[in-house]
Amino acid sequence: MLPLGELQRFARAAAAELSRHPEFAEFEVYCASSLSRIARLSYTSDIPCRGVEEIKSLGADGFQVRVVMRRNPHEVGTASEAGDLSRDALRRAVDRARRAAIIDPHFPGLARDTEKMPRRPTAAGDLARASDGALASCAWRVVDGALRAFGARYTPASRSPGLVIGGDVTIVHDRIALANSNFPEIRTDESAHFVSSVTALVESIDAKGTDSAVGGSIVRMRTAAGSLGRNAVLRALRLGAEVRPRSGRYRVVLGPQPVAEILNYMVMGSLTTGAFFAASSAYQGRFGDRIIDESLSLLDDPALRTGPVHRKITCEGLPARRTDLIKSGRLVGLLSNVYDSHRLETDAERVEKLGRLGGDAKFAPSAGYRLGEGGGRRFDADVGAAGTNVVMRARGGVSDRAILEAVGDGLYVGRVWYTYPINGQRAGDFTCTVSGDSYLIRDGKIAEPLAPNCLRINANISEVFSRPIAVASKIVPTIVWGSAETYFVPAIAVEGISMAEIGANP
Amino acid sequence: MAERDLFEAVEYLKREGEGLLRRFARSHRGVSCIDLRFEVVAGRSAAATNGEPRDSSESENAAFGLAVQVADRSGVVGHGQAGAEIGGLARKPARLPSVIRGALEQAFDRARASAREKAAIVASMGSAARSLAAAQVPDPPAIRDSVEATFKRDPRGIDIDELKQLALEASRGVKALGSSIAFNVAAAMTEYRRELFLNTAGSVITQAFSFSQGDCYVVAQNRDGHQESYDTIGQQRGIECLEEGWQSELMPNPTLGEFALDLAKEAQELAAAPALKPSEGEVVVVTDPHFNALIAHEIVGHPSEADRALKMEAAYAGRSWFLRSLADSEIGRIVGSPILSACSDPSLDGYGHYRYDHEGTAGRRVMHIDRGVFAGFLNSRATAAVLGVEPNGSVRASEMWHVPLIRMSNTFFLPGDSSPERLIAEVDHGYYVCGNLVPSIAESRENFRISARRVYAIENGRLGRLYRSGSVIADSKRFFMNVDGVGNDLRLIAIPNCGKGQPMQVKRMSNGGPTLRSRARLGGAA
Repeated sequence: MLPLGELQRFARAAAAELSRHPEFAEFEVYCASSLSRIARLSYTSDIPCRGVEEIKSLGADGFQVRVVMRRNPHEVGTASEAGDLSRDALRRAVDRARRAAIIDPHFPGLARDTEKMPRRPTAAGDLARASDGALASCAWRVVDGALRAFGARYTPASRSPGLVIGGDVTIVHDRIALANSNFPEIRTDESAHFVSSVTALVESIDAKGTDSAVGGSIVRMRTAAGSLGRNAVLRALRLGAEVRPRSGRYRVVLGPQPVAEILNYMVMGSLTTGAFFAASSAYQGRFGDRIIDESLSLLDDPALRTGPVHRKITCEGLPARRTDLIKSGRLVGLLSNVYDSHRLETDAERVEKLGRLGGDAKFAPSAGYRLGEGGGRRFDADVGAAGTNVVMRARGGVSDRAILEAVGDGLYVGRVWYTYPINGQRAGDFTCTVSGDSYLIRDGKIAEPLAPNCLRINANISEVFSRPIAVASKIVPTIVWGSAETYFVPAIAVEGISMAEIGANP
Repeated sequence: MAERDLFEAVEYLKREGEGLLRRFARSHRGVSCIDLRFEVVAGRSAAATNGEPRDSSESENAAFGLAVQVADRSGVVGHGQAGAEIGGLARKPARLPSVIRGALEQAFDRARASAREKAAIVASMGSAARSLAAAQVPDPPAIRDSVEATFKRDPRGIDIDELKQLALEASRGVKALGSSIAFNVAAAMTEYRRELFLNTAGSVITQAFSFSQGDCYVVAQNRDGHQESYDTIGQQRGIECLEEGWQSELMPNPTLGEFALDLAKEAQELAAAPALKPSEGEVVVVTDPHFNALIAHEIVGHPSEADRALKMEAAYAGRSWFLRSLADSEIGRIVGSPILSACSDPSLDGYGHYRYDHEGTAGRRVMHIDRGVFAGFLNSRATAAVLGVEPNGSVRASEMWHVPLIRMSNTFFLPGDSSPERLIAEVDHGYYVCGNLVPSIAESRENFRISARRVYAIENGRLGRLYRSGSVIADSKRFFMNVDGVGNDLRLIAIPNCGKGQPMQVKRMSNGGPTLRSRARLGGAA
C-alpha cells in the first residue's frame, strides 16, 4: 500500500498542475490505495483439502481525475490511472479525461465546501499494521477451534461425519487523499477493519451452524478467531433430528441475519436518491410517509462507535455524516452523493417521484463512496451512494424470550440465503431459502431444529417491516456476503409469512 | 520521448518472466510450484440516461496475480498468493521485475506461514486432521502457445465519441417511446485484453480477447403497474457487433438501438399487463432459450463446478446437488429426462470462449448431463486430483489480480428436434415463460425460483394473455425429469455478471439452450 503522505503529496502536486490549465473551471484528484488480505477457510473432514485455501491479497493503488470545462459548466471528463502516481500518469489521465468528456445538462459541478475540516486522527487502528502471519494465525485458529469443538462434542453417527468448515478472515484497509478546486485543503482518510464469517456443516446429521465477527483491532480479530470456529460447530451440533415443516403461512421470528439480508438486498437500494430518480424505489412516491411500523427506525452512521467501518470523509471529500433514513416508521432521509442529490432535487417530476411530502426535501450528499469488491475504496470506481454502519432500532423492543412468547407457535429463522428482489426492487417481493440456524417455536419456546434448506420464503418487504408482532431490543452486528455495509439489527417477529417446502413434490 | 505502449509489458514478461520465476524457485527453499498471470486491458465505455449523456471513460490497466506453493520439511503444503493492479508501472521495465519479485516474496511468506500453522495443527490433532494432507496434484504439462483476439475493429483504436453516440442514440430511442418510460439507461463498452500465463513447469501462453457489450435498463410505469427490465447483448468481437448487429445461428444480436427499443417496448406492454397469480400446483411450462439460460447457469453450471461440489464454496454460494460426498454423487445416475443433455464448451464462439484456462490447461467440452445422466464437473488441477479425473481447463479469474476459480464457459442445454411452435401447440393448458429476470436458488441448487420477463397463458395450443411478475418454482431434479420436449432452437445468451468467490469476482460467460417443456409451479406477485 502507498503511504498516506505519498497520496497526499501527489494530490497536492496534481492540484497545482491542474490549476495551471485555464480550460478547467473545476477539478478533482481522488487518490486511493487499498489492500484486502483474505485467508479463505476450506476444511472438509472427508475430502482432501487445504484447510486454509490460501492467504491472498488484492492491492489497488491509483488516482482518478475529474475535470469540468470552463467553456461549459456541464461538460465533465473523468479518467483514472492505476499504480503510477507520476506527472506522466497525470498527463495521460488528463488527456483521457478530455477525450471522455460529456456534456451532461444536469451535472451540477463538483462537491463544494469552503470550510476547512477539523484535523482528526484516522480511525485505522492497529489492524492497518497487522502482519500476514497474524492473519494466517487467526485463520488457522478458527479451523483449530472448530476441529477441537467437533472432536469433543460429536458423537459419531457415521465414520464419515462430513464436517465442512468454510468462510474467511479478511482485513480491508484503505487510504485516500482528495484534492478539489472547491476545497481549501487536501483531505485524507484511512480506515481498516476485519470481517470474518464462518460456516460449519455436519453433513452426516444434515446440520449447519454459523458465526461471524467484525471489528477494528488485532485483539478483537484474535479474540474472534478463538471462538468463531467453535461457535459455528457447536451451533451445528445443536441441530440434528430436524423437522421439515409443511408449506403454509407461519408466524416467524426473523433473526438478525435474515433481517440484515432483507435490508441489504431489498431495502437499502430503495433508500437512495438514485433509486427515486430512476423510479425504482420500493417506496416510490412515499417520502415523508410512514413506510414501516412506527416502532422502527433506520440510520446509517459512518462514525458509529461500535461499528467496524469508520469514515471521516466521503469519496467526494465531503464530511461523512449520519443519515437518518427512517424515523419512527417515516421515510425521512436518503443516501446520496452530489450528483444524485442535485438530479432529484431539480427533477421536474420530483413531487411524483418523492410524493407530496417530499416536494421540498433536501438530501445531503454524505454517502458518496467509490467502493470496490469487499467494500474498500477504489481509485477508479464511480461515485455511488452506500451505507457504512447501518443500524435498525426499535422502540419498545422486547427480550429474546418475550419475542418467542409473542409468536407462541411458529418458526425461528436464523439464517436465509440468496435473497433477491424477484419481481424487481420496486415491487418489494422477495424470495430466499431458510439455510440454517433455524427452529420450530412451540408454546413460546425454541423447540426442534429445522432441516437446513427445507423451506423457501416468498414474501414482500411490507409483510416483514410494516406489522411486526414484536421486535427484539438486542441489536446484533451482522455481515452480509458481498456487502459494503455492516448491519446492527434486531430480530423481528412477523405474522403470516408464506413458506414453501423444498423437496416436497405435490 | 514517446511512452512505451502498455501492451509491450506482456511481451517483456513473456521474454523475462520465465527466468524470473525459475530463479525465485531455485533460491527459495520448499517452493514446488509458481504460477504467474499478467494482463493488460484497454477499454472504452459510455452510458446515456433518459436520452442524455451520463458517463464515458477510456481506460488502460495492467495487473498480475501469482500463486506460490511451498512444502515444509515434513511435507505439509502451504499456499500463498498476491495480486495487484499496477497500471502505468508496467511501462517501466526497470520496475516491473522488482514489483513481481516483491509480490513473490509476499506470497512465499504467506505460503510458509500457512504451512507452519497447518503443520502445528496436523501434529496436535493427529488423525482428526488427516484430510489436510491434500491430494497430490500432478505436474502440469508445459504449453507454449499464442492466441489472438477476433474483431473487425480493434477496441484500442475506437474513438470514444463513437461509443458516446451509440449509447446516446439508444437511450434517445427509448425515451421517444413516451412518458410511460420513467427511466432508461443504455450503455456500450468495447475492450481488448491480452493475458500472459507463466509457470515453473515451463508454460508460456498468451491469449488475447476482444469483448463488446451493450446493456439496457428500463423502468416503465402506468396507472396499473410498473415493470423494471434489463438485459445485455455481447460478443467476443469489436464494436461492430453493437453498431451493425451480429448474425450467427448460435448467438445473434440486433444493434444496440434495436435491442434497447425492443426491451423498452416490452416493458411498456408488461407495465400494463396483470401480475401473474401463483398456481395452486404444477402446470405445464414451455420455457424459451433466454429463460433457460438462467436455468442452465444456476441449476446445471454452478453445481457442476467442482470447487462448489467439493464444499469449498459452502460458506458463500453453497454446495452442489450433484455431489453429497465422494462416495455418493450423481455421476452416472439419472438426474433428468433422457431427452435432456447439457454441457460447457469454451471452444464455441460465445461470450465464454477461451482456449486455455488460468492454470494453463487447454479448455474442452465437458458434458454435464448426457441424455439424462449426470456426466461430470468443471474442474481445476487440484479438484481434478481429488476427483481422480483429468483436468478440463475450467479455472479462470475475472481479473488477473484475483485468484482463479472454477467457472462456466459457454454452458447450455443441447438442442433436440422439436420446433418451439410444436412444443406450444401440443399444450392444452399451460404457460409460455420467456426471458429471464432474477434467480433465487436453494443452497445446493436443488430447488429454484427464477422470475421471467413475460409469461403467456397457453390455451389449446395457442398463446393467450400476457402476464408480468411471473416465476417458475421447482425442485431441480423433478423439473429436469419432467422435461418432455426439447426444441431445435438452441441460442446462447451473453451473461455479463456472474458473481463468485470472496471477494466477489464478476465474470462474463454464455448460457442458453433451446426451448424446453416441463412442469413446475408458477410464482407471482406476493
